[in-house]
Amino acid sequence: MNIDIQSVLKNLGLSETNQGVSTGAEWFETNGKINTSSSPVDGKVIASVKTATLEDYEAVVAKAQAAFKEWRMVPAPQRGEIVRLIGNALRDAKEDLGALVSYEMGKIFQEGLGEVQEMIDICDFAVGQSRLINGVALQSERPLHRLSEQYQPLGIVGIVTSYNFPVAVWAWNSALAAIAGDVVIWKPSSKTPLTAIATQKIIQKVLRENNVPEGVFNLVVGRSSVMGDNFLGDKRIPLISLTGSTSVGRRAGRIVGNRLGRALLELGGNNAVIITPNADIPMAVMSTVFGTVGTAGQRCTSTRRVIIHEKIFDQVKNSFVNAYEKLADKIGSPLDEKYLVGPLIDEHSVMLFEEAVSKVQKEGGKILFGGQKLEGKGFESGNYVMPCIAEAENHFEIVQEETFAPIVYLIKYSGDVQNAIDIQNDVPQGLSSAIFTLNMREAETFISQTGSDCGIANVNLGTSGAEIGGAFGGEKDTGGGRESGSDAWKIYMRRQTNTINYGADLPLAQGIKFDI
Amino acid sequence: MITKDITIEDLIEDYPKSVKYLSEKNIRCIKCGEPIWGTLEEACLEKKFTQLAIDKVVKELNELHKTPNKKFEIDNKKIKVKKI
Repeated sequence: MNIDIQSVLKNLGLSETNQGVSTGAEWFETNGKINTSSSPVDGKVIASVKTATLEDYEAVVAKAQAAFKEWRMVPAPQRGEIVRLIGNALRDAKEDLGALVSYEMGKIFQEGLGEVQEMIDICDFAVGQSRLINGVALQSERPLHRLSEQYQPLGIVGIVTSYNFPVAVWAWNSALAAIAGDVVIWKPSSKTPLTAIATQKIIQKVLRENNVPEGVFNLVVGRSSVMGDNFLGDKRIPLISLTGSTSVGRRAGRIVGNRLGRALLELGGNNAVIITPNADIPMAVMSTVFGTVGTAGQRCTSTRRVIIHEKIFDQVKNSFVNAYEKLADKIGSPLDEKYLVGPLIDEHSVMLFEEAVSKVQKEGGKILFGGQKLEGKGFESGNYVMPCIAEAENHFEIVQEETFAPIVYLIKYSGDVQNAIDIQNDVPQGLSSAIFTLNMREAETFISQTGSDCGIANVNLGTSGAEIGGAFGGEKDTGGGRESGSDAWKIYMRRQTNTINYGADLPLAQGIKFDI
Repeated sequence: MITKDITIEDLIEDYPKSVKYLSEKNIRCIKCGEPIWGTLEEACLEKKFTQLAIDKVVKELNELHKTPNKKFEIDNKKIKVKKI
């Protein structure tokens, strides 16, 4: 497939220089710093963005506050209808937005399309949820009293997204926030501002045609000096949803916690796959390789460790190396569908990849495949690497860290599956995990109370590629947040307990007597 | 000019060679592919750098970016970290 990026940019309404602040259909004439966005694919400048100033931010918050007062009065199914139309607009723009995601971020075009599909899926999910925002009826201990719980709109939701899923994470949050009656302020990654602007342009037609108040869907492109601690610490924003590193999440948790706000944190992972002697090994290897090199290892859910039983270690190791050898010819421009692995986001990520390769050897690990920066025709941007397989031990400092690149550590275990689970859990992070086994006892142990301590625990499929229907998130240093499906919508709402006395007496709870 | 109050994001964007320099000082200013939040001073303090050591980092970073083609020799200039 031949993708003409200039046509893609034109179709998405992007120009050489773009405004970075919008309250929906309207765009601000900002005077902030101009940032250029370059593609990791070929190193070329794609376009520039005029970023926000602090004054712009204040104006957006004011608009959002006013919009919330209107939006919360719109019945939830009608809010859902707007989200349905946004989903349809994304369907119409899927190819173009998918191509821009691929070009600006570096993931292969198929994954770019998948990312936009995730946006569409969560819109569909949110439309259904808009008719299912339910409370509970409880039993009152007092006669002629009714006890119940309900959910009310919360207010402004601040959304901080990362470059690796530059638009899907916004959709996960904003689709649910919108049907909940909230308004959103989106701070996209400074590395991928154009996909954010393109998304805002896609939805603006829907907002304009349906008279959605300005200030419901806000976009503020700005560096952390403008959209940083001030944003996190802003008491007018009851919920901050942040996707990023554990380091940034810890800072956000502290600042938001200090003002007793809510933080939904989706942070780093150190995800492992366990392969037991009872696994379907070809299936395990095939599935795990997607987890290790998909998105060039730049997913929060990328497989970082593979914990293999000693009896099958050599067999699995050889299968991995064979699979990677086949991949060696499939590294290249993510816009060319013959390639399966694209570039890393920038030269800094390449440097950190090389550092990890060096560190694992210094700590006693052995490189089994790859680990080099690629040079030559097609790799001129300097951002392409040969995915690396290393044999290592779980306690190595570098293994305990998350390296956001395609490096996977093969780790040996012996004895019972519980030993493998203990190794798997022995890292600070707790996002995603998987086991490959056809043995029911091993599978059940893995998802039992002594099993994986991660937010996601899969059996016979890899660590990455979650569906939107389940709640997404993890424990420990991953931050504890849950977004996307299941009942994740509740965090975007204010929970309220109601007791109604429809009798003529005033009985107190716990039978307390208070007669005047 | 680089000061200790510069945010890490601005430092990386405007003075990209800082990433390697700081990495060699054991300060990882990029995590999950994104710059960490906060200032240069905060990043140094997290690694228990003294104010004196931070001033030296600022000075060296400015020197590094004054001479774009010169490879900065830092291997033998390890900052002494005060143990707490």
